[in-house]
Amino acid sequence: MGSSDGQVLGLTKIADAGPAVQRWNVVIVSEGYRSAEMGQFTIDAQQFANILLTTAPYDRLRAGINIYRVDVTSTESGARDPNSCGGTGAKPKTYFDASFCTSGIRRLLVGNSGRVIKVISKLLPQWHMALLQVNSSIHGGSGGAVATFSKASNAVEIALHEMGHTAFGLADEYEYYAGCASDNGHDNHSGSEPSQPNITTNKNRATTKWASLIQASTAVPTTQNANCAGCDPQPTPVPAETIGLFEGADYYHCRVYRPEFNCRMRNLNQPFCGVCQQVIAKKLAPFLPPS
Amino acid sequence: MANTRRKATKAKSRKSLTKAKSRKRTVAAKSRKSVAKKAKPAKRAAKSKARQRLAGLKSRKPVASSKARKPAKKTTSRRAVTKPKSVKPLAKSPKAVRLTFSYQGDQVKLVSQQPVEMTVPPSDSLKGYEDHKGFWAEVKSAQDKTLFRRVLHNPTRNDAEVFSDDPEQSISREPAPKRTGVFVVVVPDTEKGHEVTLSRSSGQPDIAPEGSPRGMTAMRSLATGPATEIARFKLKK
Repeated sequence: MGSSDGQVLGLTKIADAGPAVQRWNVVIVSEGYRSAEMGQFTIDAQQFANILLTTAPYDRLRAGINIYRVDVTSTESGARDPNSCGGTGAKPKTYFDASFCTSGIRRLLVGNSGRVIKVISKLLPQWHMALLQVNSSIHGGSGGAVATFSKASNAVEIALHEMGHTAFGLADEYEYYAGCASDNGHDNHSGSEPSQPNITTNKNRATTKWASLIQASTAVPTTQNANCAGCDPQPTPVPAETIGLFEGADYYHCRVYRPEFNCRMRNLNQPFCGVCQQVIAKKLAPFLPPS
Repeated sequence: MANTRRKATKAKSRKSLTKAKSRKRTVAAKSRKSVAKKAKPAKRAAKSKARQRLAGLKSRKPVASSKARKPAKKTTSRRAVTKPKSVKPLAKSPKAVRLTFSYQGDQVKLVSQQPVEMTVPPSDSLKGYEDHKGFWAEVKSAQDKTLFRRVLHNPTRNDAEVFSDDPEQSISREPAPKRTGVFVVVVPDTEKGHEVTLSRSSGQPDIAPEGSPRGMTAMRSLATGPATEIARFKLKK
């Protein structure tokens, strides 16, 4: 198992914004693709690049973003899918040993991040964000140093959410831990102010983290959870994209606020909220060529 | 007598000839040294220029890499050595260090420091976070002044984000105790940077109380107190 089960073929730039030393460099690495399937990885990686560069705010920042593909073959296709989690029991020999059912969690798809980092650091020392695309149609993925995602429809959303964490330090904006129906001990956020830029315990309009983005006409707090024993069931009282203080975030039902009713850091298939977009834009500003 | 004098004169002239030759050799060596000294910055500049261009790496056209080699050859030529003034000064490449950490439970180790010429995203706020919760890395000066700070989504959590097809709750968390892994922080490589520190909010132990159902354990990732320093490492110079 491991690096003897395949071969690193090389690096290809698939979105070229300029020299790597000056740009923000995203690298997408193949896992569980046999040599005969590398053509498919070329298509999959390009598809990811196209989605990333048309997703706000990356679409406005594309002049500062390079995307590279690292072709790595595996002896066999797919990822391990243990029976213990209700999987097929498949145990393919792959380069990065990607497996579902990590820590006994069915959808938790994880590869050997250390090995991914070693491979890409050799090929492109200037990399900023690493992604591992796993050749499996089962829905799954994971975050961390290397954002990992399968080929299931919508799994690219996992990569976009995880990039928010890994590259920009964004917090989770969902207001539950295991789920609204099954949470226990997640009623009130009783802690200090979170260090992440997109959640806050400060409900003061003038001093809260994203105060400059809140319109004078927007109520603050914008929503309040009437029953902290569960998630707030009310729909948004304001039009989409309104920035305010919405109660419930950071795995707690109450006493912590998110900037918009919805966001990709709260739920997949949603755009990034205005605050997250601003954070990403600020972090990527030094990578843009002078205009 | 005359013979002895002639011999002495011959010996003298041979001696002075050897001295002159050795003087000549020293001058030549000195001038070679000075040329080499002058050549060094030119060579360094050429190397850095080539490195910069190579950083663009293999684009789809292999032409890019062959182009990168040309200037390096030019500047090592005699012309470049004898006329160092003709070498244009280059803009400084941004210097950075890629720090790779590994963790096992609560233990964090710095496993490598890789110097890289690359642009680093700007620092997070250096002030006003003293009582904040979370996880961050800082570059400190010898006087322990914070020079750079990067807020991270806690990479040493003992739970994991899980994704489902449920459109209402497509993301949730599940305990995943005793996780091991790696994480990477890229920081600017500056003269003043002396150490790197990691800070994390304190939390509960990584063990579920006996009999507690899955998902009810107080998780380290849910630590609510202000972050405190958990590790400090020297930066290589």
